[in-house]
Parts: sequence; structure tokens; C-alpha cells
Amino acid sequence: MQSNRLGWLLLAPTLLILAMFGVFPFIYVLFVSFHQWNPFAVNPEMAFNWAANYRRVVFDAQFIASLGVTAAFVFFAVVSELILGYALAQAFMKDFPGKAFFRTIHTLPLIMAPIIVGSVWKLMTTPSIGIIPHLLDNWFGYDLNIGQSAGAAFVLTVIMDIWHWTPLVTLSLIAALVSLPPDPFEQAQIDGAGRWQIFWHITLPMIRPAILATVFIRLMDALRTVDEVLMLTGGGPGSATRYVGVHIFKEVFPRTNYGYGSAISVVVLYVTIVVCWLLYVGLIAPRNKKG
Amino acid sequence: MDIEPIDVTPEEAPPLPKTGFLPIETNWFDRIFISVVIWVALSLFWLRFIEPLGLSIWICTAISVVLAAIIIRKG
Repeated sequence: MQSNRLGWLLLAPTLLILAMFGVFPFIYVLFVSFHQWNPFAVNPEMAFNWAANYRRVVFDAQFIASLGVTAAFVFFAVVSELILGYALAQAFMKDFPGKAFFRTIHTLPLIMAPIIVGSVWKLMTTPSIGIIPHLLDNWFGYDLNIGQSAGAAFVLTVIMDIWHWTPLVTLSLIAALVSLPPDPFEQAQIDGAGRWQIFWHITLPMIRPAILATVFIRLMDALRTVDEVLMLTGGGPGSATRYVGVHIFKEVFPRTNYGYGSAISVVVLYVTIVVCWLLYVGLIAPRNKKG
Repeated sequence: MDIEPIDVTPEEAPPLPKTGFLPIETNWFDRIFISVVIWVALSLFWLRFIEPLGLSIWICTAISVVLAAIIIRKG
């Protein structure tokens, strides 16, 4: 019994922090989502309004459109980051001159705050002063203007996310690749397996847990992207890059609609949990059962 | 350093996974989670498509409670 008590005592700080920064804020958001609350209005009191905010969410065409755009953004960003991250991880597994320098340089975007990343990309893509429109115009005669072209704005937000977060994927996959035992690879080579066969039948199954963990982290992060996109495009042009995070921000802060913003947040959290759970059930649980 | 093993009595042991009508092995917490996921999905669907026809959200809640009871007991 004493060791049980010691266990709980050691767990207490973690549980306390988790409760303070995870559980209580969630319960509070859930509570606010059932209220009409504008703290800057003439009547700043919270008024309980049952499911009215959720009723509004399911009829909000802008929110439903933002869910679709977010899904496209998450798909393109996460898949590209995974492919590029794996290619870079494989490249960093080999020895070449200046490897340590390149590895350090390539991880630098990770330490930048998203708002800074957004401002830097904003400067780089602003027509007339940005380097990217200048080069695209000189080399291909392409006039890049993310304030006017919805497609260009969407693609640029995806590229910005890839630039920012691919190093995270690379680092996770390097850690996974380094920890692989050499024996299966040597045996496969002795048996005459090609590079593709080794990748498909040995490397990929062995680093699958690391890939899935990275995908989960990136998926959850990409679903709540706000600051970078808000800085780069402001959610525009039109609603081309109005991802759910940006939509929530615009509802909560400029319109001070806290109750409705909380309801959207709860729905987005629900979608995130369900997507991750379905991925887990579909990809990890069957293998565990077999194993 | 001696590490004392933590005593786990049969009453405290984590519940064993079981296979019911759900296509995956689940414990009681999984089944509560699945019930909540279905309840929320059903409620949002009801608010969007069924409630405008005049059927109250409370009917959806009652259906969800019955579904949850079936999933938790036999899932």
C-alpha cells in the first residue's frame, strides 16, 4: 500500500499540471460553449443557451468550408513532410562533407516561432519587395500575388508549413533509422533483395511506429494551424486559406463571440480526436492484435 | 538500489480486453469512448438534418443513451 502511495505522490505533479493546463481549460471551454457570452457587450454576463451554439455550427457554411480547406491543407502538408522528411533522414544517414553543418542548418526552422515564420514568408512573398515573386517573374514570367490568387495562397501556406515542420519529421525518422539493427538488412542483401524490396519489406515495417507517431503529432499540429497562416494570408484571399484555427480566431477575437468560438473549438477537438483514433484503430491496433 | 514492486491486487488490475459485436478488442474505457464519439456525431447530425423536421434533440439523446448501454454491455 505504501508503494502505491509513493507512486501516486510521484505522479501528483504531472497530474496537477495536466489538470491545470489540459483538463480544466477543456471543461471551461465546454462550459462556455453552452453559453451566449460577449464580455465586451452591454450585458457581459454569460447566458445559458443550451445547444444553440452547436446548432449554429452545423449550419455555418463558412465553418464547413473551412473544414474542407483544412482537410486539404493537412493532407498535402503532412504527406509532403513525411516523404521529404524520410528522404532527408536517409540522406543524413550517409556520410558526406559538412553533414553536421547541414543537419544543424536544416533544423533551424524548428526553433522559430510560427508568428515569425509567417512574417518572414509574408516579406518573401509580398509583390514588389519579396524575393519569391521577383525570382518567379524573372525565371518563369509568373506573376505571384497571394493577395489575389486563391490557389497560390493555398499552395504557399502548404509550402510554408512544409518548410517549418519537415525537420521535425526528419529528426524523428533519423532517430528511428539509427536504432534499426543491421542484421535483417545484411540478411536481405545476402538473399539478393533489391533496394526497393529492402525499403518496402524491412525498413518501412520497422520504422512504422515512429512514422505513425510523427504523423499523429503533425496531424494534430496542422489541424490547429493559426498564427503562421494568419500572418501570411490573413485567411484570404476570400476564404481560400481560412483554416479552422483561423476561423475560430476570427470568431472569438475580432467579433468577441466567445460562446460560439468555444463551440467550434469543441467540434474541431472532436474531429481531431476521431481522426487520430480512426488512424490508430486502422493502422496500429490490428498489428498489435496479430503480434 | 532496490526497487519495490507495486502491489496490484486482482480488484485493481486493469480490465481485460474483450471481443463483442465491435470489430476490435475493447476494454470498458474504449467502449465508453466509442459511445461518446457516436453520441456527439449523432447529435450534430440530428441538429443539422433531423431537428429542422420537428423532432427534438432529446430523442437523439435518448437513442444515444440506449446505444451507449448496448455498446458498453455487449460491444
